Amino acid sequence: MQREKTDILTTLAQAVIDMDIDCARETAAEVIRCKVDPYTAIMDGLAKGMDKVNELFENEEYFVPEILLCADAMYAGIEVLKPYLPKETAWSKKKVVIGVVKGDTHDIGKNLVKIMLDNAGFEMHDLGRNVPYAKFVDTAGELRADLVCLSTLMTTTMDGMHVVIEDLKKAGIASKVMVGGGPISPGFARNIGADGYAKNAAEAVKVANDIVQSNHFSPLILKTPELVSIKRGQGGTR
Amino acid sequence: MNSPDEMTPKERLLAAIQGKEIDRLLVSPLILNFASRSLNLTVSDFCANGKNMGDANIACFKKYRHDIVYIFSTTSTLAEAMGTRMYFPEDDAPQVETPFIQVREDLKKLRPVDPEKDGRIPVYLEAVKRCVDAIGNDVFIVPVIGAPFTTSAALRGTERFIKELYTDPELIHTLMKVATQSVKNLIDAYVKAGGVPVTVEPIATGSMISEKHFREFVLPYLKEVYSHIHSYNLPGVLHICGKTKRVIQCMAESGADILSIDTIDLLEAKELVGEKVCLMGNLSPADGMLKGNPEIITAMVKDCLAKAADNPKGYVVATGCEVPIKTPHENMIAFLEAGRRFARLPINLN
Repeated sequence: MQREKTDILTTLAQAVIDMDIDCARETAAEVIRCKVDPYTAIMDGLAKGMDKVNELFENEEYFVPEILLCADAMYAGIEVLKPYLPKETAWSKKKVVIGVVKGDTHDIGKNLVKIMLDNAGFEMHDLGRNVPYAKFVDTAGELRADLVCLSTLMTTTMDGMHVVIEDLKKAGIASKVMVGGGPISPGFARNIGADGYAKNAAEAVKVANDIVQSNHFSPLILKTPELVSIKRGQGGTR
Repeated sequence: MNSPDEMTPKERLLAAIQGKEIDRLLVSPLILNFASRSLNLTVSDFCANGKNMGDANIACFKKYRHDIVYIFSTTSTLAEAMGTRMYFPEDDAPQVETPFIQVREDLKKLRPVDPEKDGRIPVYLEAVKRCVDAIGNDVFIVPVIGAPFTTSAALRGTERFIKELYTDPELIHTLMKVATQSVKNLIDAYVKAGGVPVTVEPIATGSMISEKHFREFVLPYLKEVYSHIHSYNLPGVLHICGKTKRVIQCMAESGADILSIDTIDLLEAKELVGEKVCLMGNLSPADGMLKGNPEIITAMVKDCLAKAADNPKGYVVATGCEVPIKTPHENMIAFLEAGRRFARLPINLN
């Protein structure tokens, strides 16, 4: 017996919220069997669940372990659906380069922001951690990135953000810059000329949206197969 | 100095602990790797041997006369001594490079530390001894130990570790048990060396995990640590940085006598746990010490005092987390001067 489409979508969302990787995977397989549109399954199922996760994080009902595991469930579902997505899409997505600045290897905060921005429809390019300043500038230039996200947990490395911003300017790269991390304050962000500051991963989505002025519908990045390369385990995540 | 102290830092801390009269509240910026600057050492040189670490802290104390001399370079020292590989930047604190427990099988290789010979612990022990010999009459020498949860995270890799709070709680408890034994072994060694060990548990911050997980995976082990510290008749000190509002009740239940806190309003902290524990904190290391100026820092110290000086169980003027290595000298002076002046009892902030 086949379930209703809405029922399947609800199960997908709930699997993400419940951090249930197996359920996400099985339900994604059911999506294919029942001939539900895989794009819809991601948008109105998995991603919708992740939106709820974001909300739970904002309300301090979910914390870091929960987000990481919810994201694992979401990506497990996407992994199953990916082969069935159209090979080409005409969406223009906002490109984001993200990384932890040189000297710092703490990357959990950065990974959370990456997950949330990914889910919010940005094309994420993760440079990992302990990233040389020039790497941010080069990558932003090559990709013509809309946004560069800089993260650090340490007071010793926070000034590196200023260097990156200056170097971007010198190189004539128009990418906007958002900064965040433990020691970073809105005042510091302003002083170094950042375009935005986010105090956590949930806020990062709002701030990024404001910065890139995405007033048009910004489609879910995950539906484009090649962009799913940001899945966990790549781009410097350990 | 415009406000001379009447007691030595040691007399002051001792009197404060014993509930006797003190000239002023303790002023204790968390000077850790910053001490390297007093001998113009890079942080990697500072951490390289006990002579450097000890002598830099001795020079630093002679320069600033702060109330507590901490011996520390990274929260992962215990994990390092148990097998985690570290990365040593030229002029910054060591960071975890490769966690020891890569696969579950590795648990079999896990042993509690022998502080006399494992990893770089002998460096810290020597630093403690040098400081005790040189300045131990004037000030307590306080080595800082990464508590069980923080040590376990560094043994496993933090991201993997916190996911396993859900997916493999048994592994977490196995790690926590060995880590707790290591912490206790290290406490024994530091006490023997003449130090007064304290513990930091930053991975258990409310920025990272929920109160539920704190209760299940952190609290029982912290209780064991503080009851061990209390067996030496020493006070338990627990530092957790980041956001702590969600976990501060648990922190106060751990048996720690002093909570060193960071991102939480001191008024709120006082209200929540002030009847139970002494509070310590929470001037901003980045906006205050590193990026601020003497005027800003003085205002911040006064703000801390206005909020917490009347905490029922006492208050220590401190930074919320480690003093940044590049903190300007005049900012450190401003912090200490403001503390000496405005933390005099009875408190008068004018």
